[in-house]
Amino acid sequence: MAQNRNKLIELFIGNLSNAVLHSMLEKAISNNELAGRYRQELITSLSIAKKYREKINPLHEPLPSKDKEYIKDKVIKKVKAGLAVRKAKGCKQPSQQAVGHYP
Amino acid sequence: MEIVAKISKGSKMDQVYLPKKRNGFYTGSYVILKPLEAEKPEEKPYFYNITSIEPIKLRLVLEIMQIIEKELQSYENIIITGSFLEPGFHFNDIDVLVISNNGMHESSLKKSLEEKTRVKIHLIMLSQAVLMQGLSTDPLYQMMMSKAIAKKRMIYHTQRKPDYKLLDLHLLKSRPLIANFDALNGEEKYGLTRNMLAISLFLQNKKVSKASIDNEIKQVFHIKDVMEIKQNTLNKKKFLGQYKRVYSSIFNHVMDGVNHGSKQK
Repeated sequence: MAQNRNKLIELFIGNLSNAVLHSMLEKAISNNELAGRYRQELITSLSIAKKYREKINPLHEPLPSKDKEYIKDKVIKKVKAGLAVRKAKGCKQPSQQAVGHYP
Repeated sequence: MEIVAKISKGSKMDQVYLPKKRNGFYTGSYVILKPLEAEKPEEKPYFYNITSIEPIKLRLVLEIMQIIEKELQSYENIIITGSFLEPGFHFNDIDVLVISNNGMHESSLKKSLEEKTRVKIHLIMLSQAVLMQGLSTDPLYQMMMSKAIAKKRMIYHTQRKPDYKLLDLHLLKSRPLIANFDALNGEEKYGLTRNMLAISLFLQNKKVSKASIDNEIKQVFHIKDVMEIKQNTLNKKKFLGQYKRVYSSIFNHVMDGVNHGSKQK
């Protein structure tokens, strides 16, 4: 089933934000050795995000600046929302200032 | 006549060089090559919740244990676990846990194991303390140890102490199924569902093993067999609706736990 580009970008964003949120929550775990042991096997978000990216045109070139800005903004918003839910429940999470400060 | 020689590495084939000046061993004659070390009497490993295993797999398990024993000077235990121990040959790799409190060279051991067995190895090296902590706080460790073959007898008495932040992290791994149902294959869907229900059983203080999780999946999703998930023959609307409800309920439970834990501190 062919999926339109906008739908693919939204799915790409959803998975990318899940992977970012995961790596941020990992920083809040006191015992990092324990948290990371099975990481390579179970992080599906990033591999699904890659699958979606492989379907979004242009396939072999970087996305246009407009798309990149849109994706970046939405990922930051989604990760902040994920952290906010946890903060509202009383979790002490890593600073939200850290969101979006990835190279 | 006997000659002691070393196997040397060649570009296409490895070889044993013989001196030109020798008595016997004429060119063209057939010889037997045998390892010099005396064969040790075979030690039997310990089986946990394994009713049967294919002989070829057992040979591989013993070979892995022998290689680790030779490579490491000391260790507490060697444990083989994961999908490799399930009937059939549908495994991706072999999960090998080496329990040791000494300094470890994980990458070189993994390389050596893969070179000698020609099978992909997922090697995890842990200290006894980390293993004990994992067993008391993490359902994945309990599931991992519920079905295993161990070099030495395993006796682990741990009290369950949920680490809610860790459970939050593990639960997040099951979230992609909600938005990506169509993009995932049956095995991936099963893996994510199993992860979610392992957390649920752990929180309910119930036994966490592959069999108990499969049973829970059947009950929660009202399916006859987990093969329905693995073979991707699910009723999407019905399954996904229930999945969202279960995910949300476990998430709230975990968040309450985090909240309670942070207040206690």
